[in-house]
Amino acid sequence: MEEEVGKMERVVEVPKLERVFDDYRALSDEIIRIEEPKKEKFLEAMRKSLTKQNWPFLKPYKLTLEACTHCGTCAEACSVYIGSGKKKIYSPVHRSDMFRKIYKKHFTLSGKLFGSLVGAKDPSEEDINALAEAVWRCTICRRCAMACPFGLDNGLITREVRKIFADIGIAPDELKEKGVENHLKFGSAPKIPYEGLMNILEFIKEEIEEEKGVEIEIPVDKKGVKYLVMNNAGDYLAFTETVQGIVEIMNYANADWSLNSPKTGVFDVVNYGLFYSDEDFVRVMKAHVDTINKLEPEYVVIGECGHAYDALAHFLKDLFPPEERPFKVISLMELVDQWIREGKLKLDKEKNPEPVTFHDSCKWGRTGGIYEEPRRILKAACKDFREMQPNREWNHCCGGGSGFAIMHKDDFFKFRMETYGRVKAEQLRQTGAKIVATICANCKAQFRELVEYWKLDMRYAGVSELVANALVY
Amino acid sequence: MAGDLAWIIGNVLPYVTLAVFFIVLIYNFLKWVFMPRPVVWSLFPAKRSTFDILLTIAARIFTLPGPRKVDITIWVLAWLFHIGLIVSLLLHAKYILMPSFPAEYYLGSAAGVAAAIGTLGFIIRRIDLAKTKADSTFADYFALILLLVTLSLGAYLRLGELVEPGVTWAWVRGVLTLNPVPPPEHPLFLVHILLAQIYLMYLPFKTLIHPIAILFGQKIILDERHIYPR
Repeated sequence: MEEEVGKMERVVEVPKLERVFDDYRALSDEIIRIEEPKKEKFLEAMRKSLTKQNWPFLKPYKLTLEACTHCGTCAEACSVYIGSGKKKIYSPVHRSDMFRKIYKKHFTLSGKLFGSLVGAKDPSEEDINALAEAVWRCTICRRCAMACPFGLDNGLITREVRKIFADIGIAPDELKEKGVENHLKFGSAPKIPYEGLMNILEFIKEEIEEEKGVEIEIPVDKKGVKYLVMNNAGDYLAFTETVQGIVEIMNYANADWSLNSPKTGVFDVVNYGLFYSDEDFVRVMKAHVDTINKLEPEYVVIGECGHAYDALAHFLKDLFPPEERPFKVISLMELVDQWIREGKLKLDKEKNPEPVTFHDSCKWGRTGGIYEEPRRILKAACKDFREMQPNREWNHCCGGGSGFAIMHKDDFFKFRMETYGRVKAEQLRQTGAKIVATICANCKAQFRELVEYWKLDMRYAGVSELVANALVY
Repeated sequence: MAGDLAWIIGNVLPYVTLAVFFIVLIYNFLKWVFMPRPVVWSLFPAKRSTFDILLTIAARIFTLPGPRKVDITIWVLAWLFHIGLIVSLLLHAKYILMPSFPAEYYLGSAAGVAAAIGTLGFIIRRIDLAKTKADSTFADYFALILLLVTLSLGAYLRLGELVEPGVTWAWVRGVLTLNPVPPPEHPLFLVHILLAQIYLMYLPFKTLIHPIAILFGQKIILDERHIYPR
C-alpha cells in the first residue's frame, strides 16, 4: 500500500527544472540555457563592467571586490541567510566570493600568480550557471552593507553580476520581457490599456462616492498641475485600495493634481531595470522623464512604490542634467505627512482601531531615507501603532524585493516563503498587530502570500488606505 | 655570517620595508581617490555635510556599529585586536623618540597579548566560518598567523626581558638617523623584527586595504549630499 502511495506521489509530482545552484530556480531553461557554453561571453561582459564605462558604480564595486576581509559579519545581517537556517550558500560573502574568485583569477595580478592561495579560480560552465541563479536569491535589500564595518556592499555585487548576465541575455523574463519591454511598449508592465485604466478609475470613483458620500474627481493627463501622482501599475490591478486611498486624499486636500494614462507615455512608475541592467534602467527612466515633461507638473509624487522613489528621487539626479528634469520629485508620504502637520488632512484615529505595525521597505528605508514620515502618518491615523523589531535601517526584507514578488517560476514561491518569509512572519507575529502597513507594491504582494502561507492572523494595507479610512468629513 | 644576516635584517631590510609599505599604501589610497564618484548609493540615515560625514566615519571606525548590532563576537575580537595592536604600535613609535620606561613593558606586553588573543580568535572564527559562511583563503590565514607569531614573540621578548632596552633603542635611532649600529643579537629578536617587516610589506597588498576601504566605503554609503536639494 505504501509503495502504491509512493508511486502515486511520483506520478502527480510536478516536474521540476534542473537544479544548478540550490533546490530552486528563478530563471527558466530558455533564459539560462544551461547547456550553452557562456564562460567566454561572461568574462568579456565582466571585463567591460570593470572599466570606466561602468563609472556610476565602479568605486563601490571594486572596493567590495578587493577589500572584503571575509569577516562574515554580513551573513549575520542577511535575512535570507538567517531564514534559511544559516545555509552557507546564502551568505552574502559566499555569493560574492563565487564572483570574486573569477575576478581574482582573470583580473588581478595576485590571482594570476598565486591562484587558489589567494582565492582565485577559473570558473567552469557549471560555476557560471550556478552564479546566474545565485544572484537571484538576494533581494539587494542591503542590510548586509549596513552591517559591514567597511561599508562594503554585497548587494551591489549581486546587482553588478546581474548586469553582466543581462549583457549576455540572461535576466528573468518577469522583469525583462514581461517587465521593461512591456512597460516601454504599453505604458505599464502589466499592459493595462487606456480603457482598462479608465474603468478602474471609474470603479474607484464610484466606490469612494458610495462609501463616503462625497463627490470625487479623478483628473487624468491634465497638463501643468502642481502634483502629478504616479503609481505602480500593480496597485491599479491588485491593490486598488491603495490607489483609492490616494485619490481620496488628493480630493480631500483639494489639490491641483492629476494621474496619467498610457496616452501620455508610461504611467507605471516601476523601473525593473534597477534590478538587473543599467541600460534598461536608463531606458525606463528616460521614458518616465519624457512622459513627465509632456505633462509639465511642478512635482512628481511617487505613490506606494519603493524602487520607483529610489530611481526618480535619487538616481535621476545623478544621471540626468537639471535642464532635462524641470520638476521636483517627492514621495506621497512626504506630502501626506506635510498636509497632516499643516492641518489639511483631518484624521480620526478611532476609525482605525486595530493594532497596526509598519514594515520599512528596503527601498523606502535603507535606500530612500523615508523612515519617520510614514510613522508620523500612522500615529495620526491609527489608534494603536506598534513598532516591529528590528525596524528602520535594521528592518528585515520581506522577500518580495528586487522583483521577487512577481517571480513564481518552478517553486521559487516556496523559496520566498521559507527563507525571507520565515524571518518576516516571525517579526510580524511578535508585534501582535492585526494590520501590517507598508508603502511598496512588492512588499504587499509578498505579504499577501506570506499571511496565508504562515497563517498569520493579520492583513496588509497601504498607508494611504489607512489614512483615507481615517479622514474626517 | 650570522652577523651579516642580523645586519641585513636590522639595517637594510627596514628601508625596503618602509619603501614598500608607504609606496603601496599611497598608491592604494590614490587609486580610490581618483576612481569616479559613484552615483547615489547611500544607505540611510546618511549625512548632508562633509563635516557630518567625516565625524560619522570616525565614530564608526571606533564603535563598529554594524558588527555590534549583528555579531557581538566579532565586535569583541575586533576591539581586543585593534586596541591591542594600536597601543603596541604606539609604544613602538614612542620608542623612536625616547627609551621605554619599565612600566611600559607591562603595558606593551598586555597590549601584545590582547592583540594576540584577538588574532587567535579571528583564526578560530575563520575555521568556523568555512563551515557556515565563507571560505577563507591561504592569504587570509597567512596574515593572521604571521601576526600571531610576531605578537607572541614580541610579548615574550618583553616579559622575559631577553633584550637589553638600551641596545634596542640605539639600533632604532641608528636606523632612523641613517647611522646604523648592530641590532640586538638575540635570535628571537631577529625573528621578531624579520616577521614584523614581512608583515608590514604584506599589509598594504592585502590586510591594510581595509583601513583605507573603511574611509571610502563608509563615505559612499554615508554621502547623500548630491541628492539635495530635492
